Amino acid sequence: MGQLDGAGSQVRRSLSWSALLGAWVFASGHVGSPDAIFQGAAGPYTVRVIVRTPGVVPGLADITVRVLTGPHVTAITVLPLRGGTPTAALPPADTARVVPGDSSQYAAQLWLMAPGAYSVQVNVSGAAGQGVALVPVMALATARLPMDRPLTWTLLALGLFLFVGALEIVLTAAREGTLEPGASADTGRRRRAWVVTALAGIVLAFALWGGRAWWNAADANHSRSLYKPIPIHVRVALSSASGENAYGPRGPVLVVTYGSMIWRMPNYSPLIPDHGKLMHLFLVRDSGGPGFAHLHPLPSDSSSFAASLPRLPAGGYHLFADVVHENGLAQTLVDSLSIAPPAAFTWKPTDPDDAYDIGGDAATSSAPAVLEDHSRMTWTPPAGGLVTGRPVTLDFVVTAPDGKPAALEPYMGMLAHAAVERTDASVFVHLHPMGTVSAGSALAIQLRESGDTIRGRLAPRVAAAERTAMPVMESGPPGTFALPYEFPTPGDYRVWVEVRRGGRILTGLFAMRVAGS
Amino acid sequence: MQQSRTARPSRTPTWPLGAVLVAATSVVIGVIWDISWHRTIGRDTFWTPAHMAIYLGGVLAGTSCGWLVLKTTFAGTPESQAGTVTFWGFKGPLGAWLAIWGAFAMITSAPFDNWWHNAYGLDVQVLSPPHVLLALGFTGIQLGALFLALAHQNNEGDRPAFRWGYAYAAGLLVANASIMGFEYIAFPNDMHRALFYQVSAAAFPILLVATARASRLTWPATTTAAVYMGVTLLMVWVLPLFPATARLAPIYRSVTNMVPPPFPILLVLPALAVDLILRKSGTGRGRDWLAAIGAGLAFVAVLLVVQWEVSRYLVSPASENAFFGAGRWNYNSLPGSWEHEFWNARENPLTAAGVGIAALLAVASARMGLWWGSWMARVRR
Repeated sequence: MGQLDGAGSQVRRSLSWSALLGAWVFASGHVGSPDAIFQGAAGPYTVRVIVRTPGVVPGLADITVRVLTGPHVTAITVLPLRGGTPTAALPPADTARVVPGDSSQYAAQLWLMAPGAYSVQVNVSGAAGQGVALVPVMALATARLPMDRPLTWTLLALGLFLFVGALEIVLTAAREGTLEPGASADTGRRRRAWVVTALAGIVLAFALWGGRAWWNAADANHSRSLYKPIPIHVRVALSSASGENAYGPRGPVLVVTYGSMIWRMPNYSPLIPDHGKLMHLFLVRDSGGPGFAHLHPLPSDSSSFAASLPRLPAGGYHLFADVVHENGLAQTLVDSLSIAPPAAFTWKPTDPDDAYDIGGDAATSSAPAVLEDHSRMTWTPPAGGLVTGRPVTLDFVVTAPDGKPAALEPYMGMLAHAAVERTDASVFVHLHPMGTVSAGSALAIQLRESGDTIRGRLAPRVAAAERTAMPVMESGPPGTFALPYEFPTPGDYRVWVEVRRGGRILTGLFAMRVAGS
Repeated sequence: MQQSRTARPSRTPTWPLGAVLVAATSVVIGVIWDISWHRTIGRDTFWTPAHMAIYLGGVLAGTSCGWLVLKTTFAGTPESQAGTVTFWGFKGPLGAWLAIWGAFAMITSAPFDNWWHNAYGLDVQVLSPPHVLLALGFTGIQLGALFLALAHQNNEGDRPAFRWGYAYAAGLLVANASIMGFEYIAFPNDMHRALFYQVSAAAFPILLVATARASRLTWPATTTAAVYMGVTLLMVWVLPLFPATARLAPIYRSVTNMVPPPFPILLVLPALAVDLILRKSGTGRGRDWLAAIGAGLAFVAVLLVVQWEVSRYLVSPASENAFFGAGRWNYNSLPGSWEHEFWNARENPLTAAGVGIAALLAVASARMGLWWGSWMARVRR
């Protein structure tokens, strides 16, 4: 236990990294990937819905709906819904228009007027009747649009023209305004006109200064209202003196604590389960080396969660904790951690769905990932490769060691889960065959009733619904699955793909390069 | 007045005055319509009819005055050039330059406002920097109409059309001021707090007094206030005739017709007091100070007595009828007892000190109005 004899020597917080990450997480409920991508059933139709959020509230989001399978579709309407206070009426749904040149794709705009979780109701009408899909969308003010250079110069030029023009009007008014028609001003009048213009210049400059102060105040106010995820602190706690603790024998425990007092947050809403778990905590090695874990810490008190830490290689790690609130808000909490070389201990997972991977090199499109049970996971890149802003499905096939398609079992209700991380950690998203959307968030909005203004009333119903929900099973050939996504920025990504086979959770690591559009 | 050349009669065409008055009216109606649009329907695009009315005003004012300037500069007779001022070598009446400046300010505000929406979110308030720039543009057009009418009135005072045109343009300016102060002085629920009287005291006397001083009508301030009230009442009565429904969530109340603006301030009564004071005070430097004090105090006193009492009725359910148009709220405002309450009456009560501040503001505003009005009375170009 020599290496574990003091949390201080074990865990070195990377403060500068935290600060940097803190700036990045403003970008999204996920990290750096704010758009909602949903793939699933709308009644008899299978659709892929992408909602590109505006980053400001109130704002206009773009939504595209692609009909993937199903009978002939005649019309698609979209309607953003928000829970909470009962309303007098719903606004009329918007009709999505067919995108020119692509008869299976429809587009519309959504008006997201208040911050928080929305559920976009996608109604599909066609030969097989009506079908509805509910897509959770987070309306969050995440950034302020910078003013680009052409607009800056245009506004400066127009502003200067207006400023000089206003003074010129004052000058001519003072010089000639009260002259008899046809008369011209003498020297004294001209001089006085300049004095008046100078005074007007001072007044105008003062007004401009006031306008600038007003603008700065509005900007600062906007910055203060930007979405910030709940801060967390993650640390490694040692097991008790007896070598035992509540989460596992002889192993270190990862403790996640809210970094601020949540009961001081007026809009704090309790957590609800997503895929059956209150928290999905991902640990991702920061140097690109091996080391990944997907854990499900359990609450130990009102502001702390804990999970047994698997035997991960020593080094720095990025931590991403996905949580869903009762109000439907899904967010990713972030921190970083340095883990010392592991001691000898037997890892006993806190949750049966906890998993980790310390495998070697990442697989690519040409080399499959060899999984722990010697089965192989192969990724087939989409035609045209990976390009930012282009919706893709990441298609995988798992084959058993004998080369036959592997029979996959549901893992937390899904055929697969994936953690997608840009290598600089500026993007992180938890992906599954349903897309990027949180199942818990969708359920929270779907199951909400008018009496749910009392905190904690909704969570048990969401948990019950998740327990009784049928797992999403294979729709394609055995051993295959597809993960819909749209990469937000170009660069190198790492994707850890998790499946369950023979009762074991298997993780394959893939390296993907995304080109700019 | 020293002049180096012999005066000659002005022959400035009158049609630009008509065009700019129509433009100024279109802008005011468009802005009131647009506010109603946001309160009733919610979502808007560049192409809403309210926006079209605003842009039409800008285009009409800009093009008509631009054409007037070009024609006067390059093809004008000595008579038509006599009543102009020279701006960067171009010749045009003062009002034309103001209207052109206003049109440019409106054009500038468009990309600025668009960026503002994208950077900070869609409009949730009337007062924002790009909206103020747009309002300065409106004001330029309204001042343009005012000065075009003024030059005609001062040069050809025998034609009533110019006197009335001048008072009408001034009334649109007052309407403009009331729109910019919408969040502070529009709703009767705000009329038991000090801020309502202070904002009104700062904004209105300068316009009423300046107009009155330069006007050749018998009751100029009253006429100007009546124009403001008339335009607003027209919108109070006409807008609800058009069916409309909310198109944005959350909808907290059913709205079936366009929401009218709040009933106008009964500005004719304080304006009547201003007219009476100015008629008795005469002119001259010392007298102007006395006139400003008298007009300012009279304005606040009458406004206080009238609006304090009238607002009691306007916030009551009794005023919820087609004439007063009260009780018509935004689709997204939660129904509640606040509809029939005075807002911020405890946080910002109307104390003696509050009235005193309003009185000081009104006197200062009236004094500036007299300076401005005395100068306007001499404008010839």
